[in-house]
Amino acid sequence: MATDNTATTAFGEVSRVRGIVFEYLSFGASVFGIFALAVLLIYVTIDAFDLANANPLWLLTYFITLVVPFLGFCLYSARDPAVTRRALVAAGGGLVAIAAVFTAIEAFVGQIPRLNWPLAYLFVVIIPLTGYLTYVGAQGRAGSVGFGLIGRLLGGTAIGLAFTVLFLVFDARLWFLVYTLGVVPAVLAYGYGRIRSVPTAQTAAVPVAIGGLFVAVFLRPVVDTYPTTVFIYLWTLAVPVAVAGGFVVNARGSRTAALAAAGGPLAVATGVGLLGQPLGLGVGGPNALLVVAVAGVPTAVYLHRVADVGEGVTGLGLPVLLVAGALAGALLVESFGLPAPDPWLNGSFVTEAPSRNAREAGLYPAIVGSVIIIAMVAALSFVLGVATSVFLEEYTADSGIVGALTRMVQINIANLAAIPSVVYGLLGLAVFANLIGFGFGTAVTASLTLSLLILPITIISAQEAIRSVPDDLRRGSDAMGATRWQTTKNVVLPEAFPGILTGTILALGRAIGETAPLIMIGAATTVFSAPTSLFSRFSAMPMQIYAWADFPQAEFRYGVVAAGVITLLIILIGMNGTAILLRNRAEGEN
Amino acid sequence: MSNTETGTETEAETERQTSDSLITTDVETGSNGRATASERTAVAARDVDVYYGDEQAIDGVSMEIPEKRVVALIGPSGCGKSTFLRCINRMNDMIDVCRVEGDIEFGGKNVYDGDVDPVALRRKIGMVFQEPNPFPKSIRDNVAYGLKIQKFDGDVDARVEESLKSAALWDEVNDKLDSSGLDLSGGQQQRLCIARAIAPDPEVILMDEPTSALDPIAASKIEDLIDDLAEEYTVIIVTHNMQQAARISDRTAVFLTGGQLVEYDDTTTIFEDPEHDRVEDYITGKFG
Repeated sequence: MATDNTATTAFGEVSRVRGIVFEYLSFGASVFGIFALAVLLIYVTIDAFDLANANPLWLLTYFITLVVPFLGFCLYSARDPAVTRRALVAAGGGLVAIAAVFTAIEAFVGQIPRLNWPLAYLFVVIIPLTGYLTYVGAQGRAGSVGFGLIGRLLGGTAIGLAFTVLFLVFDARLWFLVYTLGVVPAVLAYGYGRIRSVPTAQTAAVPVAIGGLFVAVFLRPVVDTYPTTVFIYLWTLAVPVAVAGGFVVNARGSRTAALAAAGGPLAVATGVGLLGQPLGLGVGGPNALLVVAVAGVPTAVYLHRVADVGEGVTGLGLPVLLVAGALAGALLVESFGLPAPDPWLNGSFVTEAPSRNAREAGLYPAIVGSVIIIAMVAALSFVLGVATSVFLEEYTADSGIVGALTRMVQINIANLAAIPSVVYGLLGLAVFANLIGFGFGTAVTASLTLSLLILPITIISAQEAIRSVPDDLRRGSDAMGATRWQTTKNVVLPEAFPGILTGTILALGRAIGETAPLIMIGAATTVFSAPTSLFSRFSAMPMQIYAWADFPQAEFRYGVVAAGVITLLIILIGMNGTAILLRNRAEGEN
Repeated sequence: MSNTETGTETEAETERQTSDSLITTDVETGSNGRATASERTAVAARDVDVYYGDEQAIDGVSMEIPEKRVVALIGPSGCGKSTFLRCINRMNDMIDVCRVEGDIEFGGKNVYDGDVDPVALRRKIGMVFQEPNPFPKSIRDNVAYGLKIQKFDGDVDARVEESLKSAALWDEVNDKLDSSGLDLSGGQQQRLCIARAIAPDPEVILMDEPTSALDPIAASKIEDLIDDLAEEYTVIIVTHNMQQAARISDRTAVFLTGGQLVEYDDTTTIFEDPEHDRVEDYITGKFG
């Protein structure tokens, strides 16, 4: 038989059945997983925004004013004909396929509960399609205005939010002293050293900053006259933002433009901040100053770039489009008197304290708590994780007693990554809350505990990133007569940075959603005011959501919890977006 | 090249920290006519043995490498020529199991003495590797790397320009110094690595098969460059390519299996009239 086969087909055949089965099984499993997750998120989103009760006309209005122009923009940004053709095919195919799936489910399985057709289309077709189009748009030339802009919007908002929250939570006067005595002299010393190339001045910047910090902490209770809040904001936030903007514009060429871009918004902000309320404009005070300065300077810088380089003109279209679309939608809804849905996730949800009444419940204290914790966890675990992995990868020997010890440490770190988070909670309770005395359920105890929890993951991924730096580069640097520290700092870490960041992002994603260790260290499920210091009682978003899920009222379980989950996801995505942006920038530089 | 003449008292004084080890040897004309008179020794090896664990990689090598000459180390794979090269700037220290015995003198000092800092030593001895390994930084930062880590306080940009010109790369990259070194072609990357090695002005440049990963045209550019570099630096080059050794080197050392230095002489002698039959067999391609 074998001889017959070889005679009929020249070389015989090699079976690929197992490979093909494996390929399609894996593909099917991933598609199923993603689809299931998407359906869950769609339900949660619908609950959070109360869209199930929305008037179809209301949905249609916003669809026409907001979603269609956005799609058009994405299509326009994907100028490449091949990409556009693919996008259109995907759009058409997707619409038909999804329609078929829904019809089939409705026909054979039964009524799809609490989900109506317009919504299904909005979420299952329109949103993935938009994502896809923006993505392909990003690959094209003009597309950089699509994806990049959204990334920057999200990331920028997240950074801004985190910064503002920290600024508001910590004592503005302490910050004022630290800034005046530490940050400004340090920056001046560094700048002087950089321009005149005096290395001692550059090195002096760090001690100056630390010294300033200590002096500020010491002086805070001693000094008792401070400028008004408007001046503190002006000096510590508006001026540096304006100076930074000025530098950016100046680097592109024009000194006059730099002065205008930095000085214009600063003058307007100062005017509004100081004179807004006395003149009866309805706005004014420190917050107005903050908003005008922090938003105005980047806008001016961007406008200058658009005018000067001609680059990104289309990019301006997107924000205009979105704002105009939202306004037009609101106008139409208003003028036709369409009943709007009453979303659970609205302005007051993210600015108000929790309440017994579902309609008045808010997440603000938990959001602030989570942001503080995550900021501290990010800083702690990044520094400790990178330091440990550098030590393990670059400094310890491979053989001998030290090598054996290193391997033991390695194995233990790998094991620590597998320990349940409740155990870390217990450790945090024993060590940080009891032994050191940071207190039960305080922000600092929670931060330290969560840092420990994700440290093994951070270390392992950072080690992996450091290990993937080619040895050629290390040898090249060593052969130049670089010390190990110089090689690590100048060659290994910059090259490994994107990988390290990826690992840290994943680990932080885990930390922000952890509930068990927080319960163990005695964090409150519900607090009614945002934490005002690191030693305040606090609550985190997952804790609050967990508490709401236990409430007897259906409104809490279906509406408020969904709104909380969506808020948590948005903040998480914003933070990840920021980190990914940083990572891509680091990759681009290399 | 006026200071190749040695023996006068004033020179002995100016070079006082190295004068003890300077050994004068008479060498006749090298293959490309560089050597004319007596020369000083830049690097001298005496009875060097190298072991990787229990395995001996180099067996009793003694040789003197004259200053401002090109010396080629040739031999079949695994004969220890790269290992020997790495002993000179103590790159073998990075390998835990590697052990070196014997003396390698550079600048009047045995580099394996306890008080020699290998990092400081490597700042005097540049090295170029087989695979071009520019750092993922801009061309400017690549060349300025050695200056940066040595905290050079002169005009860095001028030194970068000078080094790129010496490496015959300036004309190709002077308008894109801020673009990444990785965007260059393989041959350009290797010349960038050479520029990086010479920027801190070392005394010796070690090259470990610098052209074996390059195409013939890029390789010939590097060869021309090595010829020019010998005006100012001592170049020790490991190569598998015997024509290359014959073209560019003044002296050639032939290592054969077992890590022995079988013959070390002027390149012309080695290639035209070698003393040992094994060397002749190797050079004429009968083995290796």
